[in-house]
Amino acid sequence: MLRNCVLTMLMIICGFAARADNHATDAAAEDSDTSTVEHVVDLEAAEKIFRKSCRACHGNKAQGAASYPKLSDKTPEYIAEKLKIYRSGKKIGPNSILMISHAKKLSDEDIANISVYVATAFD
Amino acid sequence: MSHVTSFSALRMGAALLAGTALLSSPAFAQNGMNTTSLQHEVVLEGLDNPWDMAFLADGTMLFTEKCSGLSVRLPDGTVNALYGVGETEGYASNGSDLFCEGQAGMMGVAFDPDFDSNRRIYVYSTSNMSDPHTNRLMRFTLSEDFTGVADRTDIVDDVPYKMAASNHPFGGPGAHNGGRVRFDANGHLFLTTGDTHNGQVPQSPTMMGSKVLRIDTDGNANAENSPPDGFDARTYTYGHRNVQGIAFHPETGAAITAEHGPWHSDEITILQNGGNAGWDPRPNMAGRGDCPDDYCGYSPNQEDGMNRYERAAFMSMTDFDTYPDAMPPIWNNNGWSQGTSSAAFLEGDAWGDWDGAMVVGIMGIGFGGTPIGQRIDVIQFNDDNTDVEDVTEMTLPMESGRFRSVVMGPDGSLYTSIDEGTIYKLTPGG
Repeated sequence: MLRNCVLTMLMIICGFAARADNHATDAAAEDSDTSTVEHVVDLEAAEKIFRKSCRACHGNKAQGAASYPKLSDKTPEYIAEKLKIYRSGKKIGPNSILMISHAKKLSDEDIANISVYVATAFD
Repeated sequence: MSHVTSFSALRMGAALLAGTALLSSPAFAQNGMNTTSLQHEVVLEGLDNPWDMAFLADGTMLFTEKCSGLSVRLPDGTVNALYGVGETEGYASNGSDLFCEGQAGMMGVAFDPDFDSNRRIYVYSTSNMSDPHTNRLMRFTLSEDFTGVADRTDIVDDVPYKMAASNHPFGGPGAHNGGRVRFDANGHLFLTTGDTHNGQVPQSPTMMGSKVLRIDTDGNANAENSPPDGFDARTYTYGHRNVQGIAFHPETGAAITAEHGPWHSDEITILQNGGNAGWDPRPNMAGRGDCPDDYCGYSPNQEDGMNRYERAAFMSMTDFDTYPDAMPPIWNNNGWSQGTSSAAFLEGDAWGDWDGAMVVGIMGIGFGGTPIGQRIDVIQFNDDNTDVEDVTEMTLPMESGRFRSVVMGPDGSLYTSIDEGTIYKLTPGG
Protein backbone atom coordinates (compact mmCIF):
# COMPACT_ATOMS: atom_id res chain seq x y z
CA MET A 1 0.00 0.00 0.00
CA LEU A 2 2.77 2.39 0.99
CA ARG A 3 4.63 1.65 -2.19
CA ASN A 4 1.52 2.35 -4.23
CA CYS A 5 1.04 5.63 -2.45
CA VAL A 6 4.63 6.61 -3.10
CA LEU A 7 4.22 5.62 -6.70
CA THR A 8 1.05 7.64 -7.03
CA MET A 9 2.60 10.68 -5.45
CA LEU A 10 5.66 10.44 -7.61
CA MET A 11 3.62 10.12 -10.72
CA ILE A 12 1.55 13.14 -9.82
CA ILE A 13 4.70 15.13 -9.12
CA CYS A 14 6.29 13.92 -12.31
CA GLY A 15 3.16 14.68 -14.23
CA PHE A 16 3.17 18.28 -13.00
CA ALA A 17 6.88 18.49 -13.70
CA ALA A 18 6.35 17.26 -17.20
CA ARG A 19 3.59 19.76 -17.82
CA ALA A 20 5.72 22.57 -16.38
CA ASP A 21 8.56 21.56 -18.67
CA ASN A 22 6.26 21.55 -21.62
CA HIS A 23 4.93 24.99 -20.82
CA ALA A 24 8.46 26.31 -20.62
CA THR A 25 9.44 25.09 -24.04
CA ASP A 26 8.88 26.96 -27.25
CA ALA A 27 6.03 26.14 -29.55
CA ALA A 28 8.09 24.09 -31.98
CA ALA A 29 9.47 21.84 -29.29
CA GLU A 30 6.05 21.51 -27.75
CA ASP A 31 4.67 20.35 -31.08
CA SER A 32 7.51 17.87 -31.36
CA ASP A 33 6.88 16.46 -27.88
CA THR A 34 3.22 16.10 -28.57
CA SER A 35 3.88 14.14 -31.72
CA THR A 36 6.00 11.54 -29.91
CA VAL A 37 3.58 10.90 -27.05
CA GLU A 38 0.47 9.44 -28.49
CA HIS A 39 -1.34 8.18 -25.42
CA VAL A 40 -1.58 8.49 -21.70
CA VAL A 41 0.56 5.90 -19.93
CA ASP A 42 -0.86 4.15 -16.89
CA LEU A 43 2.22 3.17 -14.93
CA GLU A 44 0.34 1.52 -12.10
CA ALA A 45 -1.41 -0.80 -14.49
CA ALA A 46 1.86 -1.46 -16.27
CA GLU A 47 3.65 -2.33 -13.06
CA LYS A 48 0.95 -4.83 -12.18
CA ILE A 49 1.37 -6.54 -15.52
CA PHE A 50 5.13 -6.48 -15.16
CA ARG A 51 5.08 -8.08 -11.72
CA LYS A 52 2.55 -10.70 -12.74
CA SER A 53 3.77 -11.63 -16.20
CA CYS A 54 7.30 -10.34 -16.90
CA ARG A 55 9.37 -10.13 -13.75
CA ALA A 56 9.72 -13.84 -12.99
CA CYS A 57 11.60 -14.51 -16.22
CA HIS A 58 13.08 -11.19 -17.34
CA GLY A 59 14.15 -10.14 -13.86
CA ASN A 60 12.97 -7.60 -11.33
CA LYS A 61 14.55 -4.76 -13.30
CA ALA A 62 13.97 -6.27 -16.74
CA GLN A 63 17.72 -6.87 -16.78
CA GLY A 64 17.35 -10.30 -18.35
CA ALA A 65 17.97 -13.63 -16.67
CA ALA A 66 18.78 -17.17 -17.73
CA SER A 67 17.64 -17.56 -21.34
CA TYR A 68 15.22 -14.62 -21.08
CA PRO A 69 16.55 -11.46 -22.72
CA LYS A 70 17.19 -8.05 -21.23
CA LEU A 71 14.33 -5.65 -21.93
CA SER A 72 15.33 -2.51 -20.10
CA ASP A 73 17.63 -1.47 -22.94
CA LYS A 74 14.94 -1.79 -25.61
CA THR A 75 12.73 0.98 -26.91
CA PRO A 76 9.00 1.05 -26.17
CA GLU A 77 8.39 0.69 -29.89
CA TYR A 78 10.49 -2.47 -30.09
CA ILE A 79 8.75 -4.05 -27.11
CA ALA A 80 5.30 -3.14 -28.37
CA GLU A 81 6.05 -4.58 -31.80
CA LYS A 82 7.22 -7.89 -30.34
CA LEU A 83 4.27 -8.14 -27.97
CA LYS A 84 1.84 -7.64 -30.82
CA ILE A 85 3.57 -10.36 -32.81
CA TYR A 86 3.36 -12.72 -29.84
CA ARG A 87 -0.26 -11.75 -29.27
CA SER A 88 -1.02 -12.82 -32.84
CA GLY A 89 0.29 -16.27 -31.98
CA LYS A 90 3.36 -16.08 -34.21
CA LYS A 91 6.50 -17.74 -32.88
CA ILE A 92 9.66 -15.64 -33.09
CA GLY A 93 12.05 -17.33 -30.68
CA PRO A 94 12.65 -20.33 -28.43
CA ASN A 95 10.50 -19.00 -25.60
CA SER A 96 7.60 -18.02 -27.86
CA ILE A 97 5.14 -20.36 -26.20
CA LEU A 98 5.63 -18.60 -22.89
CA MET A 99 5.39 -15.17 -24.49
CA ILE A 100 2.30 -16.02 -26.51
CA SER A 101 0.50 -17.28 -23.40
CA HIS A 102 1.09 -13.95 -21.67
CA ALA A 103 0.70 -11.61 -24.66
CA LYS A 104 -2.61 -12.97 -25.83
CA LYS A 105 -4.22 -11.54 -22.69
CA LEU A 106 -3.00 -8.01 -23.39
CA SER A 107 -5.08 -5.22 -24.88
CA ASP A 108 -3.59 -2.50 -27.07
CA GLU A 109 -3.62 -0.24 -24.03
CA ASP A 110 -1.86 -2.87 -21.91
CA ILE A 111 0.85 -3.22 -24.54
CA ALA A 112 1.31 0.52 -24.76
CA ASN A 113 1.59 0.79 -20.98
CA ILE A 114 3.92 -2.13 -20.37
CA SER A 115 6.18 -1.22 -23.29
CA VAL A 116 6.84 2.25 -21.89
CA TYR A 117 7.16 0.95 -18.34
CA VAL A 118 9.71 -1.76 -19.13
CA ALA A 119 11.79 0.53 -21.32
CA THR A 120 11.93 3.41 -18.88
CA ALA A 121 11.24 2.38 -15.29
CA PHE A 122 14.67 0.87 -14.67
CA ASP A 123 16.91 3.49 -16.25
CA MET B 1 -4.98 5.76 -11.39
CA SER B 2 -1.94 7.89 -12.06
CA HIS B 3 -0.93 9.16 -15.45
CA VAL B 4 2.10 10.78 -16.94
CA THR B 5 2.49 12.12 -20.42
CA SER B 6 6.22 12.40 -20.87
CA PHE B 7 9.03 9.87 -21.19
CA SER B 8 11.36 12.22 -19.34
CA ALA B 9 8.92 12.29 -16.46
CA LEU B 10 8.87 8.51 -16.44
CA ARG B 11 12.61 8.41 -16.10
CA MET B 12 12.49 10.89 -13.26
CA GLY B 13 9.89 8.81 -11.49
CA ALA B 14 11.87 5.65 -11.98
CA ALA B 15 14.99 7.26 -10.60
CA LEU B 16 13.16 8.52 -7.55
CA LEU B 17 11.61 5.12 -7.01
CA ALA B 18 15.00 3.49 -7.29
CA GLY B 19 16.29 5.83 -4.63
CA THR B 20 13.38 4.99 -2.39
CA ALA B 21 14.04 1.30 -2.84
CA LEU B 22 17.68 1.67 -1.93
CA LEU B 23 16.88 3.57 1.21
CA SER B 24 14.31 1.07 2.35
CA SER B 25 16.19 -2.17 1.85
CA PRO B 26 19.25 -2.40 4.03
CA ALA B 27 20.08 -5.76 5.55
CA PHE B 28 17.71 -6.29 8.42
CA ALA B 29 16.48 -9.02 10.66
CA GLN B 30 13.04 -10.43 10.09
CA ASN B 31 10.76 -12.11 12.54
CA GLY B 32 8.36 -14.17 10.45
CA MET B 33 5.81 -16.60 11.74
CA ASN B 34 7.36 -19.45 9.86
CA THR B 35 11.05 -18.92 10.06
CA THR B 36 14.11 -18.44 12.08
CA SER B 37 14.89 -14.74 12.08
CA LEU B 38 17.00 -14.07 9.01
CA GLN B 39 19.36 -11.36 7.92
CA HIS B 40 20.54 -10.92 4.39
CA GLU B 41 23.65 -9.47 2.84
CA VAL B 42 24.54 -8.90 -0.77
CA VAL B 43 27.79 -10.76 -1.38
CA LEU B 44 28.13 -9.91 -5.07
CA GLU B 45 25.81 -8.22 -7.53
CA GLY B 46 25.81 -7.21 -11.15
CA LEU B 47 26.89 -10.70 -12.16
CA ASP B 48 26.05 -12.44 -15.42
CA ASN B 49 23.66 -15.24 -14.52
CA PRO B 50 25.53 -16.66 -11.51
CA TRP B 51 24.93 -20.40 -11.63
CA ASP B 52 26.77 -22.06 -8.75
CA MET B 53 29.11 -21.52 -5.84
CA ALA B 54 31.55 -23.62 -3.79
CA PHE B 55 33.34 -22.77 -0.55
CA LEU B 56 36.51 -23.45 1.37
CA ALA B 57 36.53 -23.40 5.15
CA ASP B 58 37.95 -19.86 5.26
CA GLY B 59 35.10 -18.48 3.14
CA THR B 60 36.89 -18.49 -0.21
CA MET B 61 34.12 -18.83 -2.78
CA LEU B 62 34.30 -20.12 -6.32
CA PHE B 63 31.42 -18.99 -8.51
CA THR B 64 30.40 -19.47 -12.09
CA GLU B 65 28.62 -17.08 -14.44
CA LYS B 66 26.88 -18.91 -17.24
CA CYS B 67 28.14 -16.91 -20.20
CA SER B 68 31.24 -15.36 -18.63
CA GLY B 69 33.25 -17.89 -16.68
CA LEU B 70 34.74 -19.04 -13.40
CA SER B 71 35.89 -16.65 -10.68
CA VAL B 72 36.95 -16.79 -7.07
CA ARG B 73 36.03 -14.40 -4.27
CA LEU B 74 38.62 -14.33 -1.51
CA PRO B 75 37.75 -13.76 2.15
CA ASP B 76 38.86 -10.12 1.90
CA GLY B 77 36.36 -9.55 -0.90
CA THR B 78 38.84 -9.57 -3.76
CA VAL B 79 37.48 -11.24 -6.88
CA ASN B 80 39.82 -12.92 -9.36
CA ALA B 81 38.47 -13.93 -12.77
CA LEU B 82 40.01 -17.32 -13.46
CA TYR B 83 38.73 -19.04 -16.59
CA GLY B 84 36.57 -17.42 -19.21
CA VAL B 85 33.89 -18.84 -21.45
CA GLY B 86 35.07 -18.53 -25.07
CA GLU B 87 36.73 -15.21 -25.65
CA THR B 88 35.23 -13.42 -22.67
CA GLU B 89 37.65 -10.68 -21.69
CA GLY B 90 39.12 -10.10 -18.27
CA TYR B 91 39.91 -13.68 -17.28
CA ALA B 92 43.37 -15.03 -16.50
CA SER B 93 42.84 -17.68 -19.15
CA ASN B 94 40.03 -18.87 -21.38
CA GLY B 95 38.50 -22.02 -22.71
CA SER B 96 38.11 -21.16 -26.38
CA ASP B 97 35.84 -24.17 -26.82
CA LEU B 98 33.42 -23.12 -24.10
CA PHE B 99 30.25 -21.29 -25.07
CA CYS B 100 26.78 -20.47 -23.82
CA GLU B 101 23.50 -20.91 -25.61
CA GLY B 102 20.03 -20.84 -24.10
CA GLN B 103 20.15 -22.78 -20.84
CA ALA B 104 23.67 -24.04 -21.53
CA GLY B 105 27.00 -22.54 -20.53
CA MET B 106 29.21 -22.69 -17.46
CA MET B 107 27.25 -24.32 -14.65
CA GLY B 108 28.27 -26.35 -11.59
CA VAL B 109 31.48 -25.99 -9.60
CA ALA B 110 33.09 -27.84 -6.71
CA PHE B 111 36.28 -27.90 -4.66
CA ASP B 112 38.05 -31.23 -4.29
CA PRO B 113 37.63 -32.58 -0.73
CA ASP B 114 41.44 -32.74 -0.62
CA PHE B 115 41.89 -29.30 -2.09
CA ASP B 116 44.34 -28.25 0.60
CA SER B 117 46.79 -30.83 -0.69
CA ASN B 118 45.96 -31.12 -4.41
CA ARG B 119 44.53 -27.66 -5.32
CA ARG B 120 41.95 -29.32 -7.58
CA ILE B 121 38.60 -27.87 -8.59
CA TYR B 122 35.84 -29.11 -10.93
CA VAL B 123 33.68 -27.13 -13.35
CA TYR B 124 30.90 -28.25 -15.69
CA SER B 125 30.43 -26.38 -18.95
CA THR B 126 29.18 -26.63 -22.48
CA SER B 127 31.93 -27.11 -25.07
CA ASN B 128 32.19 -27.16 -28.86
CA MET B 129 35.35 -29.23 -28.86
CA SER B 130 33.32 -32.21 -30.09
CA ASP B 131 30.76 -32.24 -32.85
CA PRO B 132 27.97 -32.62 -31.92
CA HIS B 133 28.87 -30.44 -28.99
CA THR B 134 28.80 -31.79 -25.45
CA ASN B 135 28.76 -30.77 -21.83
CA ARG B 136 32.02 -31.48 -20.06
CA LEU B 137 33.20 -31.82 -16.49
CA MET B 138 36.62 -30.23 -16.28
CA ARG B 139 39.24 -30.59 -13.57
CA PHE B 140 41.70 -27.79 -12.94
CA THR B 141 44.52 -26.98 -10.58
CA LEU B 142 44.01 -23.64 -8.85
CA SER B 143 47.16 -21.62 -8.32
CA GLU B 144 48.48 -21.04 -4.82
CA ASP B 145 47.67 -17.34 -5.04
CA PHE B 146 44.13 -17.97 -6.41
CA THR B 147 44.78 -15.96 -9.56
CA GLY B 148 44.62 -18.63 -12.22
CA VAL B 149 43.89 -22.22 -13.14
CA ALA B 150 45.97 -24.77 -15.05
CA ASP B 151 46.10 -28.43 -16.01
CA ARG B 152 42.63 -28.60 -17.52
CA THR B 153 41.57 -32.23 -17.78
CA ASP B 154 38.12 -33.09 -19.11
CA ILE B 155 37.19 -36.00 -16.89
CA VAL B 156 33.71 -36.30 -18.46
CA ASP B 157 33.39 -35.21 -22.08
CA ASP B 158 30.28 -36.93 -23.38
CA VAL B 159 27.20 -35.44 -21.73
CA PRO B 160 24.77 -34.68 -24.58
CA TYR B 161 24.03 -31.14 -25.68
CA LYS B 162 20.94 -30.06 -27.64
CA MET B 163 22.31 -28.79 -30.94
CA ALA B 164 19.20 -27.59 -32.74
CA ALA B 165 15.93 -25.92 -31.88
CA SER B 166 12.80 -28.03 -31.60
CA ASN B 167 9.09 -27.43 -31.44
CA HIS B 168 8.76 -27.26 -27.68
CA PRO B 169 8.49 -24.71 -24.92
CA PHE B 170 12.01 -23.45 -24.16
CA GLY B 171 12.77 -25.23 -27.44
CA GLY B 172 16.00 -23.47 -28.37
CA PRO B 173 19.40 -25.14 -28.56
CA GLY B 174 21.09 -25.83 -25.26
CA ALA B 175 18.08 -27.04 -23.28
CA HIS B 176 18.24 -29.36 -20.26
CA ASN B 177 21.87 -29.90 -19.33
CA GLY B 178 21.44 -30.68 -15.62
CA GLY B 179 24.62 -29.17 -14.29
CA ARG B 180 25.20 -29.61 -10.56
CA VAL B 181 28.59 -30.92 -9.36
CA ARG B 182 28.88 -32.13 -5.78
CA PHE B 183 30.98 -34.40 -3.56
CA ASP B 184 29.36 -36.55 -0.91
CA ALA B 185 30.88 -37.11 2.51
CA ASN B 186 32.75 -40.15 1.21
CA GLY B 187 34.53 -38.15 -1.47
CA HIS B 188 32.48 -39.51 -4.37
CA LEU B 189 31.93 -37.04 -7.17
CA PHE B 190 28.36 -36.65 -8.46
CA LEU B 191 27.33 -34.93 -11.70
CA THR B 192 23.71 -34.35 -12.67
CA THR B 193 22.61 -34.18 -16.31
CA GLY B 194 19.47 -33.52 -18.37
CA ASP B 195 17.45 -34.95 -21.22
CA THR B 196 18.27 -32.30 -23.90
CA HIS B 197 14.65 -32.49 -25.13
CA ASN B 198 15.52 -35.87 -26.61
CA GLY B 199 12.97 -38.62 -25.94
CA GLN B 200 15.57 -41.34 -26.24
CA VAL B 201 18.04 -40.00 -23.69
CA PRO B 202 16.42 -40.64 -20.28
CA GLN B 203 16.16 -44.42 -20.53
CA SER B 204 19.22 -44.84 -22.76
CA PRO B 205 21.87 -47.09 -21.19
CA THR B 206 24.70 -45.27 -22.92
CA MET B 207 23.77 -41.64 -23.53
CA MET B 208 24.82 -39.81 -20.40
CA GLY B 209 22.01 -37.27 -20.30
CA SER B 210 19.21 -37.66 -17.74
CA LYS B 211 21.61 -39.40 -15.37
CA VAL B 212 23.26 -38.86 -12.05
CA LEU B 213 26.85 -39.93 -12.50
CA ARG B 214 28.92 -41.14 -9.57
CA ILE B 215 32.59 -41.10 -10.44
CA ASP B 216 36.06 -40.54 -9.06
CA THR B 217 38.12 -37.44 -9.69
CA ASP B 218 39.58 -38.93 -12.86
CA GLY B 219 36.10 -39.50 -14.25
CA ASN B 220 36.09 -43.26 -13.70
CA ALA B 221 32.94 -45.03 -12.57
CA ASN B 222 32.54 -45.73 -8.89
CA ALA B 223 33.02 -49.49 -8.53
CA GLU B 224 29.90 -49.78 -6.42
CA ASN B 225 27.55 -48.25 -8.97
CA SER B 226 24.89 -50.81 -9.84
CA PRO B 227 22.92 -49.70 -12.89
CA PRO B 228 21.13 -52.34 -14.98
CA ASP B 229 23.15 -54.55 -17.29
CA GLY B 230 24.33 -52.74 -20.35
CA PHE B 231 24.39 -49.32 -18.76
CA ASP B 232 27.42 -47.09 -18.69
CA ALA B 233 29.11 -47.92 -15.42
CA ARG B 234 29.27 -44.26 -14.41
CA THR B 235 25.49 -44.31 -13.97
CA TYR B 236 24.30 -44.00 -10.39
CA THR B 237 20.69 -43.29 -11.36
CA TYR B 238 18.92 -42.71 -14.69
CA GLY B 239 15.54 -41.76 -16.11
CA HIS B 240 15.70 -38.17 -14.88
CA ARG B 241 14.40 -35.09 -16.67
CA ASN B 242 16.76 -32.25 -15.79
CA VAL B 243 18.43 -32.48 -12.42
CA GLN B 244 19.84 -29.20 -11.15
CA GLY B 245 19.72 -30.01 -7.46
CA ILE B 246 21.56 -32.67 -5.48
CA ALA B 247 22.46 -32.77 -1.81
CA PHE B 248 23.39 -35.44 0.69
CA HIS B 249 21.42 -36.11 3.84
CA PRO B 250 23.60 -35.23 6.83
CA GLU B 251 22.52 -38.32 8.79
CA THR B 252 21.92 -41.02 6.21
CA GLY B 253 24.33 -39.81 3.55
CA ALA B 254 21.70 -40.47 0.90
CA ALA B 255 21.96 -38.54 -2.34
CA ILE B 256 18.74 -36.58 -2.82
CA THR B 257 17.81 -34.77 -6.01
CA ALA B 258 15.60 -31.77 -6.65
CA GLU B 259 14.35 -31.67 -10.20
CA HIS B 260 12.34 -29.55 -12.60
CA GLY B 261 9.06 -30.99 -13.68
CA PRO B 262 7.64 -30.39 -17.16
CA TRP B 263 4.39 -28.40 -16.98
CA HIS B 264 3.74 -30.26 -13.73
CA SER B 265 5.34 -32.11 -10.81
CA ASP B 266 8.68 -30.79 -9.64
CA GLU B 267 10.18 -33.60 -7.60
CA ILE B 268 12.49 -34.40 -4.73
CA THR B 269 13.75 -37.98 -4.81
CA ILE B 270 15.93 -40.00 -2.48
CA LEU B 271 18.19 -41.80 -4.90
CA GLN B 272 18.75 -45.53 -4.91
CA ASN B 273 21.94 -46.89 -6.43
CA GLY B 274 21.04 -48.07 -9.94
CA GLY B 275 17.55 -46.62 -9.69
CA ASN B 276 15.28 -45.37 -12.43
CA ALA B 277 13.59 -42.01 -11.88
CA GLY B 278 10.88 -43.03 -14.34
CA TRP B 279 11.00 -40.18 -16.86
CA ASP B 280 10.45 -41.49 -20.37
CA PRO B 281 9.14 -38.91 -22.83
CA ARG B 282 9.29 -41.11 -25.93
CA PRO B 283 6.31 -41.01 -28.29
CA ASN B 284 4.17 -44.04 -29.07
CA MET B 285 4.40 -45.65 -25.69
CA ALA B 286 2.59 -45.48 -22.36
CA GLY B 287 -0.62 -44.83 -24.25
CA ARG B 288 0.75 -41.84 -26.15
CA GLY B 289 0.88 -41.28 -29.89
CA ASP B 290 3.19 -39.02 -31.82
CA CYS B 291 4.55 -35.91 -30.16
CA PRO B 292 6.26 -32.78 -31.51
CA ASP B 293 9.77 -33.62 -32.68
CA ASP B 294 9.57 -37.05 -31.03
CA TYR B 295 9.56 -35.65 -27.49
CA CYS B 296 6.43 -35.80 -25.36
CA GLY B 297 7.93 -33.95 -22.44
CA TYR B 298 5.45 -31.06 -22.56
CA SER B 299 2.51 -32.96 -24.00
CA PRO B 300 -0.40 -32.83 -24.17
CA ASN B 301 -1.40 -29.32 -25.16
CA GLN B 302 2.14 -28.06 -24.80
CA GLU B 303 1.29 -24.54 -25.91
CA ASP B 304 -1.43 -23.76 -23.41
CA GLY B 305 -2.42 -24.25 -19.82
CA MET B 306 -4.40 -27.23 -18.60
CA ASN B 307 -5.03 -29.15 -15.40
CA ARG B 308 -1.70 -30.31 -14.04
CA TYR B 309 -3.03 -33.67 -12.92
CA GLU B 310 -4.37 -34.38 -16.39
CA ARG B 311 -0.94 -33.58 -17.74
CA ALA B 312 0.68 -35.87 -15.18
CA ALA B 313 -1.64 -38.70 -16.15
CA PHE B 314 -0.63 -38.34 -19.78
CA MET B 315 3.12 -37.80 -19.33
CA SER B 316 4.21 -38.76 -15.86
CA MET B 317 7.29 -37.31 -14.29
CA THR B 318 7.70 -40.72 -12.64
CA ASP B 319 5.94 -43.35 -14.75
CA PHE B 320 5.07 -46.15 -12.34
CA ASP B 321 2.81 -47.86 -14.89
CA THR B 322 5.75 -48.48 -17.18
CA TYR B 323 8.40 -48.71 -14.48
CA PRO B 324 6.80 -50.09 -11.29
CA ASP B 325 10.15 -50.11 -9.51
CA ALA B 326 10.91 -46.49 -10.26
CA MET B 327 12.25 -44.42 -7.37
CA PRO B 328 9.27 -42.71 -5.74
CA PRO B 329 9.47 -38.95 -5.30
CA ILE B 330 8.96 -37.80 -1.73
CA TRP B 331 7.70 -34.34 -2.82
CA ASN B 332 6.01 -33.19 -5.99
CA ASN B 333 5.40 -29.50 -5.30
CA ASN B 334 1.66 -30.09 -5.06
CA GLY B 335 1.69 -31.11 -8.68
CA TRP B 336 3.11 -27.78 -9.87
CA SER B 337 6.16 -27.12 -11.98
CA GLN B 338 7.74 -23.88 -10.84
CA GLY B 339 11.40 -24.28 -11.76
CA THR B 340 12.84 -26.20 -8.83
CA SER B 341 16.59 -25.89 -9.06
CA SER B 342 19.27 -26.57 -6.47
CA ALA B 343 19.26 -28.16 -3.03
CA ALA B 344 21.30 -28.05 0.16
CA PHE B 345 21.01 -29.03 3.81
CA LEU B 346 21.03 -26.39 6.51
CA GLU B 347 23.64 -26.94 9.18
CA GLY B 348 24.15 -25.41 12.58
CA ASP B 349 22.33 -24.72 15.81
CA ALA B 350 21.60 -21.19 14.67
CA TRP B 351 19.01 -22.59 12.27
CA GLY B 352 16.97 -23.89 15.21
CA ASP B 353 14.36 -26.42 14.17
CA TRP B 354 15.63 -26.15 10.62
CA ASP B 355 19.08 -27.49 11.49
CA GLY B 356 19.43 -30.53 9.23
CA ALA B 357 16.50 -29.59 6.99
CA MET B 358 16.79 -29.49 3.22
CA VAL B 359 16.30 -26.27 1.30
CA VAL B 360 15.44 -26.04 -2.38
CA GLY B 361 15.63 -22.98 -4.56
CA ILE B 362 12.69 -22.42 -6.89
CA MET B 363 13.10 -20.06 -9.84
CA GLY B 364 9.46 -19.48 -10.77
CA ILE B 365 7.78 -19.85 -14.13
CA GLY B 366 4.10 -18.88 -14.08
CA PHE B 367 2.80 -20.57 -17.23
CA GLY B 368 -0.80 -21.50 -17.91
CA GLY B 369 -2.21 -20.49 -14.56
CA THR B 370 0.60 -21.91 -12.45
CA PRO B 371 1.54 -19.62 -9.55
CA ILE B 372 4.99 -18.17 -10.25
CA GLY B 373 6.35 -19.46 -6.98
CA GLN B 374 9.81 -17.91 -6.68
CA ARG B 375 10.97 -18.96 -3.25
CA ILE B 376 13.19 -21.12 -1.07
CA ASP B 377 11.36 -24.03 0.51
CA VAL B 378 12.49 -25.71 3.71
CA ILE B 379 11.91 -29.46 3.55
CA GLN B 380 11.85 -31.28 6.88
CA PHE B 381 12.13 -35.05 6.88
CA ASN B 382 10.43 -37.61 9.11
CA ASP B 383 12.24 -39.39 11.91
CA ASP B 384 13.36 -42.15 9.57
CA ASN B 385 14.61 -39.62 7.04
CA THR B 386 12.67 -41.48 4.39
CA ASP B 387 9.92 -39.02 3.60
CA VAL B 388 8.90 -35.39 3.79
CA GLU B 389 7.19 -34.44 7.02
CA ASP B 390 6.77 -30.72 6.56
CA VAL B 391 7.41 -28.03 3.95
CA THR B 392 7.76 -24.37 4.86
CA GLU B 393 8.32 -21.45 2.57
CA MET B 394 11.24 -19.47 3.91
CA THR B 395 10.21 -15.91 4.70
CA LEU B 396 12.90 -13.99 2.93
CA PRO B 397 14.39 -10.73 4.18
CA MET B 398 14.88 -9.54 0.60
CA GLU B 399 13.02 -9.54 -2.70
CA SER B 400 12.68 -12.95 -4.28
CA GLY B 401 14.33 -13.89 -7.55
CA ARG B 402 15.18 -16.83 -9.74
CA PHE B 403 16.91 -18.94 -7.09
CA ARG B 404 19.35 -20.93 -9.20
CA SER B 405 21.67 -22.09 -6.46
CA VAL B 406 21.57 -22.66 -2.72
CA VAL B 407 24.81 -23.58 -0.96
CA MET B 408 25.74 -23.80 2.72
CA GLY B 409 28.70 -21.64 3.58
CA PRO B 410 31.38 -22.54 6.12
CA ASP B 411 30.14 -19.71 8.34
CA GLY B 412 26.76 -21.33 8.88
CA SER B 413 24.99 -19.02 6.46
CA LEU B 414 23.03 -20.09 3.41
CA TYR B 415 24.26 -18.56 0.18
CA THR B 416 21.93 -18.27 -2.77
CA SER B 417 22.39 -16.96 -6.27
CA ILE B 418 19.65 -15.61 -8.47
CA ASP B 419 19.78 -15.47 -12.25
CA GLU B 420 19.20 -11.73 -12.07
CA GLY B 421 22.82 -11.38 -11.02
CA THR B 422 23.12 -11.38 -7.25
CA ILE B 423 24.62 -13.73 -4.68
CA TYR B 424 23.04 -13.30 -1.25
CA LYS B 425 24.05 -14.51 2.18
CA LEU B 426 21.19 -15.50 4.47
CA THR B 427 22.15 -15.67 8.11
CA PRO B 428 19.96 -16.97 10.93
CA GLY B 429 19.57 -14.82 14.02
CA GLY B 430 19.06 -11.14 14.44
